[in-house]
Amino acid sequence: MDVALLQGRGLSKRFGGVQALEEVDFEVQAGTIVGLIGPNGAGKTTLFNIVAGTFPPSSGVVLFGGRTITGMPAFRICRQGIARTFQVTRPFGEMTCLENVAVAAVNRHPGCPKEQWMTLARESLAAVGLEALKDTAAKHLNVVQKKRLEIARSLATEPTLLMLDEVLGGLNTQEIQEAIGFIRRLRDDRGLTVFWIEHVMGAIMQATEKVIVLDQGRVLTVGPPREVVADERVIHAYLGD
Amino acid sequence: MDMRMTKNRWLLAAGLVAFALLPWGLGVYHQHIMIVSLFYVMMAASWNLLAGYTGQVSFGHAAFAGIGAYASGILAAKAGVNPWVGVAAGTLLAAIFGFLVGILCLKLGGIYLSLTTLGFSEILHIIINNEYEITRGTMGLQVPGLLSEYSKLAYFYIFLAGALLTLGVVYRLIHSDLGLNFRAVQNDERAAASLGVDVVKVRVLAFTVSSALAGMAGALYGHYLLLITPQIPSLDQQFLVLSMTVIGGMGSFVGPVIGAFGLEILSEYIRAYGEYHVLAFGLVALAVARFAPRGMVGIFRSVWERRRQAAVHPSLPAESP
Repeated sequence: MDVALLQGRGLSKRFGGVQALEEVDFEVQAGTIVGLIGPNGAGKTTLFNIVAGTFPPSSGVVLFGGRTITGMPAFRICRQGIARTFQVTRPFGEMTCLENVAVAAVNRHPGCPKEQWMTLARESLAAVGLEALKDTAAKHLNVVQKKRLEIARSLATEPTLLMLDEVLGGLNTQEIQEAIGFIRRLRDDRGLTVFWIEHVMGAIMQATEKVIVLDQGRVLTVGPPREVVADERVIHAYLGD
Repeated sequence: MDMRMTKNRWLLAAGLVAFALLPWGLGVYHQHIMIVSLFYVMMAASWNLLAGYTGQVSFGHAAFAGIGAYASGILAAKAGVNPWVGVAAGTLLAAIFGFLVGILCLKLGGIYLSLTTLGFSEILHIIINNEYEITRGTMGLQVPGLLSEYSKLAYFYIFLAGALLTLGVVYRLIHSDLGLNFRAVQNDERAAASLGVDVVKVRVLAFTVSSALAGMAGALYGHYLLLITPQIPSLDQQFLVLSMTVIGGMGSFVGPVIGAFGLEILSEYIRAYGEYHVLAFGLVALAVARFAPRGMVGIFRSVWERRRQAAVHPSLPAESP
């Protein structure tokens, strides 16, 4: 049967007077691509930040591979095998693309020979098609290239779970199709589990097996993409009254 | 490529030997300038490790030199401890304080870190000024030298060894795996953490190592001057070290070396105009930080790049007239 690689139980997060998340339960099964959707301000990125250790939840637990990772610092969660990209990309601007990826690789293999982690860094950069720009400072990349760099860095941490935060923004139709193919291959060829926040509904429909819908900090519904988009409550949440 | 590497290495070794022989041909005054320059190489290179490579712009670096100087000086003058043991103790104490201040500043960045370290520096300054019984305040504390016989030439080699040790430590750190982590933390702490970088460890480590090196520099300097005054842990000193690093080239390995020698030698020549030179350096450092953030090293490098490109493509104008 499906094993839940990532589980959240009763996750709540309060920022001052704002209840960003309230009693959220969710599961991401190993080897699946799971979409996380919802209108702006629904709490999607907050949920990602809690899982990735940017900040702890106000209450609730996060389980990864059956073990609790609640409140662990971000770097340790990364070393457990969870990688994430940022919605607004955060490249190391003054460093070259290869160095950007090498940071991830070296911390995956601390104390190992340089050749070993540099190979991993080069492979990860090649996987997203940025090898030609390896010596370019990351600040000179365009938005789409920066998103690719984020994914390359994530891959160089050799994750089990990859969390993507709106990686398709700014891409044209053809690029979106390529990206979807790329993400599916990450799952099919590398066995990665993908947890994916995305506004491009077409991509969610095509690529995911399961969709979790958040609205105003609560789970509205969970199900296969086709059922979810037909759900009255989801349409209502997106379009309002 | 290999040929060029070995050639560069030989050039470096030859330059170093020539530099090591230089004081034999100099008078006492110029030997003194060389020794002070080497002190500033230690200070600027270690501050650069912290500010240039991890982005923690500390204003407490002179204070750590003061901790080293006073710890070693008090041990030697009041307890009769061997000055070399005192230097080791001063280095260790500076490392411990650096570790603690590093932890204190963990959640701080930018201006807040600078202000906290500035506060630390001022507190230390006030303590030294007022604990007259122990430090002899602004009168200064007389301390024994490192050697039984005072010799400028011997001090030159001690300071050269200290500077080479400092540069060696900095070089090893920035060229190790840690160097990547340092720069990642400087560029974007949150992104670094998300990629497995232990930001806390990186920042505290940089603070500790950098402070220890400043402590060593300060301790050696005190035993060279034979009189330790609150001038060593002063803000004047801090801003001089900052100017040297920024003007030489912050975040580059040779920048602080160029800055330390350049500004120390220059300040000897403009000393006649009074103590305004620190102010002048501060203004120049401001201008450099604004218009040429990579300092002299950056300027040399871009001129060199243009020359080289002009050599490859002769059709392009070398430099605009």
